[in-house]
Amino acid sequence: MVDVSQHELVPEHTVLEEEALEDVLEEYNIDRTDLPKIKRNDPALPDEAEIGDVIKIVRDSRTTDQSIVYRLVVE
Amino acid sequence: MQDTTPKDIGSLSFGLMEPEEYREMSATKIITADTYDDDGFPIDMGLMDPRLGVIDPGLECKTCGKHSGSCNGHFGHIELAAPVIHVGFTKLIRRLLRGTCRECSKLLLTEDERDEFRDQLDESRKLSRDLNDVTKAAIRQARKKDRCPFCGEIQYDIDHEKPTTYYEVQQVLTSEYSQRIAGAMQGDEEEGVERTTPDELAEQTEIELTRVNEILSGSFRPRESQRKAIEKALDIDLTEEDTNKLMPSDIRDWFENIPDEDIEVLGINPDRSRPEWMILTVLPVPPVTARPSITLDNGQRSEDDLTHKLVDIIRINQRFMENREAGAPQLIIEDLWELLQYHVTTFMDNEISGTPPARHRSGRPLKTLSQRLKGKEGRFRGSLSGKRVNFSARTVISPDPTLSLNEVGVPDRVAKEMTQTMNVTERNVEDARRFVSNGPEGHPGANYVRRPDGRRLKVTEKNCEQLAEKVEAGWEVNRHLIDGDIVIFNRQPSLHRMSIMAHEVVVMPYKTFRLNTVVCPPYNADFDGDEMNMHALQNEEARAEARVLMRVQEQMLSPRFGENIIGAIQDHISGMYLLTHDNPRFNETQALDLLRATRIDELPEPSGIDDEGTPFWTGYDVFSELLPDDLDLEFTGTIGDEVVIEDGQLLQGTIAEDEVGEFGGEIVDTITKVYGNTRARIFVNEVSTLAMRAIMHFGFSIGIDDETIPEEAQSRIDETIVDANDRVEELIEAYERGELESLPGRTIDETLEMKIMQTLSRARDNAGNIADEHFQDDNPAVVMANSGARGSMLNLTQMAGAVGQQAVRGERINRGYEDRTLSHYEPNDLSAEAHGFVENSYTSGLTPREFFFHAMGGREGLVDTAVRTSKSGYLQRRLINALSELETQYDGTVRDTSDTIVQFEFGEDGTSPVKVSSDEDNDIDVEHIADRVLDSEFESAEERQEFLGSKPRPTNLSEHADDRLAEGTEVTSDD
Repeated sequence: MVDVSQHELVPEHTVLEEEALEDVLEEYNIDRTDLPKIKRNDPALPDEAEIGDVIKIVRDSRTTDQSIVYRLVVE
Repeated sequence: MQDTTPKDIGSLSFGLMEPEEYREMSATKIITADTYDDDGFPIDMGLMDPRLGVIDPGLECKTCGKHSGSCNGHFGHIELAAPVIHVGFTKLIRRLLRGTCRECSKLLLTEDERDEFRDQLDESRKLSRDLNDVTKAAIRQARKKDRCPFCGEIQYDIDHEKPTTYYEVQQVLTSEYSQRIAGAMQGDEEEGVERTTPDELAEQTEIELTRVNEILSGSFRPRESQRKAIEKALDIDLTEEDTNKLMPSDIRDWFENIPDEDIEVLGINPDRSRPEWMILTVLPVPPVTARPSITLDNGQRSEDDLTHKLVDIIRINQRFMENREAGAPQLIIEDLWELLQYHVTTFMDNEISGTPPARHRSGRPLKTLSQRLKGKEGRFRGSLSGKRVNFSARTVISPDPTLSLNEVGVPDRVAKEMTQTMNVTERNVEDARRFVSNGPEGHPGANYVRRPDGRRLKVTEKNCEQLAEKVEAGWEVNRHLIDGDIVIFNRQPSLHRMSIMAHEVVVMPYKTFRLNTVVCPPYNADFDGDEMNMHALQNEEARAEARVLMRVQEQMLSPRFGENIIGAIQDHISGMYLLTHDNPRFNETQALDLLRATRIDELPEPSGIDDEGTPFWTGYDVFSELLPDDLDLEFTGTIGDEVVIEDGQLLQGTIAEDEVGEFGGEIVDTITKVYGNTRARIFVNEVSTLAMRAIMHFGFSIGIDDETIPEEAQSRIDETIVDANDRVEELIEAYERGELESLPGRTIDETLEMKIMQTLSRARDNAGNIADEHFQDDNPAVVMANSGARGSMLNLTQMAGAVGQQAVRGERINRGYEDRTLSHYEPNDLSAEAHGFVENSYTSGLTPREFFFHAMGGREGLVDTAVRTSKSGYLQRRLINALSELETQYDGTVRDTSDTIVQFEFGEDGTSPVKVSSDEDNDIDVEHIADRVLDSEFESAEERQEFLGSKPRPTNLSEHADDRLAEGTEVTSDD
């Protein structure tokens, strides 16, 4: 089987620590349900991600080198 | 006035209305179908009862006491003689009938199942999923039950005949049971089924022999268990379908008994909506204000479609009641019931499939409630999302190169119709009086005045002089549009934000809106009959906002690609090309004439002295006068040469499309970003006027001779064509001999087609090249093609060389007759000529067959554009509706209305495309920018050290204010 998360076009997905998550939620003044969603069965997710976790995705960007996006893992 | 304060909407809830609620809110019960009596007064308890609201001005509403205009109207009600089904809920009614018990009305689910579905529903609600998925699954589960889990009653299938009839389908013993049994007992020799004697049957079915004989004689109807036994023994079906119509009253009784807990599982809130309310017993009558009658010229009243429909309903309702009281037969009652159902159905929706629409006497289908809401002209899309407005004008547009790109020429008759409200103060009272005294007919005049006591007076030719004297501070004067007013200008389709821009008014004679040709690209306008809309702004905030944000010069850079969308076009580009291509020389008079429409009124030092001792100015130097003094720029230009600008002087290169053109002209783009929109507006205005002067100086025209080539060239072109035809013949011969080798991934036929196409397109190119050799660089068509003003070398090739292969769907023309395109050719002729190759040029003229093929190709193009615009229009509509609620917040995130984050940083980088360098190769040159800013900002090094702030660009509010702020140089005027 191909592990898509190792593909060069798939950005890095990591589970966000609880503390870091607090900071993010505070920064944007939101609940975690206001975050964009990602499905649990998304092949890019790391294995340890569980429903309710928040994933930090670091993408290469043409204009800003790196862009960071957070997503909530849903069913 | 107290209810005009804005209020927040806390929540909205949708549900069904209880009949009692209809009665409570009703102003009156309606019992007569008549509207007005012989004297023209509304009849009490009729459809136009004065308690339902007022439409005639001057009358008082009998319910609320308000006058027409302020009274919104009041509902009435009709007591229906028999319950009828509400068409809007037929699907839900069907679902409920199928999912609940016919006897005890309970949901056909065990308690466990029911609880499970309720939990699922709660979860779906939390995750804001579609609740329908759960409720549908619940009904599906319930339908599987043959018997009610509570009372044990057998459940039958429910048939729904559209729109409003429901049947119960039962399997009952057929009346021909004895014949069928006898027939089956005969057996069938051909199929090898043996005869069955009554004795055998009695044995197999365990029914007494006497009973069997009674059944066979037809004198005893077998019970259900006996029927099943016989069916099993003889392998026959003894049932037939019996449909039992459910009357609305039956359904209502059925629904009344559904317990509240069961409804919840179906996604209905029982506190707000009970299912029996879907069967109407009371019909609300809309207020008269919702169905006003119109008085025709001859004094006759013409009633609204809704009123007509209500008349029908009341008439049938009355007849129904009379017949029932008179004890009419059930059949007649049922017919009337159906008729009442039909009228109530069409009152709500007159476009139901399977039902003939109710029609007006003239044959036109009536426009009833749902037709008022639905579709493009409906209440939502036609009256709420978009509406017709006051203070707007529409007329044909035409060009005026003497206007600034910020301006719009407004016809005087439009200016006299559209007004601006002027609050009279001590400082403008003189002006106000002058406007009023000019009256409504004189140009800067006024149409209305409002006295401080709120009374509004019309200014007329007769009273204008007297009125003018009375005007004091504190009055309001609605004066005509005058030069310098700001208005909004728009051309449909409004596909991007530059389709609606603010312009300054210039009042002009005649009937068309005039605009500078450089604003054609953003509006996508031309002057072949295009019309545009103008809107006069009505309050100070709107005017300020339009001036600062929406003025044309503020929209020079397109957010689509971050470069200028406004720039020189067509003749401007040809003109600049002529002015700068060979760097021609001009004497003083000529140079002054070129610059006469610009701000430049003094020539610079002459570029040189010619042999005769007179000074001359070069095209470069004339153009450089328009550039900012400290502009430095170097890039590869339109015609491939290097364009060099140093200290605002053009040193090298030709100015054409890529330099000053509409979509990303380098110089315009740079000036806009570095020197600001105001400077760019001045530059574009001046480039266009200078170019017009230049093109008039040199003269520019095109004629048929410009596309004709010498005899010798023509024969060479003919040769290439003959050559190509020969080569095509060779290919065909090779193909027919089977010697053609197919290209990888293609069939032989495709290979042949490709090779023929290649050969022919090469032939056309060769013909074009031969033709090109004979065109000088000063040929107008060549100038236009090279400068990028209009047309291309391909167009020129087609005019002078050969038009080339015509194509439909990207292939040579293959359609028409069987195996051939036209009857002029042999079947299966593969030659170039037979498949739409046009050897002639547009100048030499096409043969009839070539012309026909050319028309085929041309038609495809037309159809394509028509289809593309409608397809892309719909796509855009859906995209806009999907994205319309997204908004960039102050923290840089993009969120929708429920605060869900869509982008954490606008466009990943939080930058606006128009504020960013658009150069693909070079990143933003931060150092250069920083140096430039620091240089201009500080005179001494210490001040520079202290630097931390920024200097905002002045907000330019008007053409004439701008000129002073743009540059240090003293400037007279734009024109």
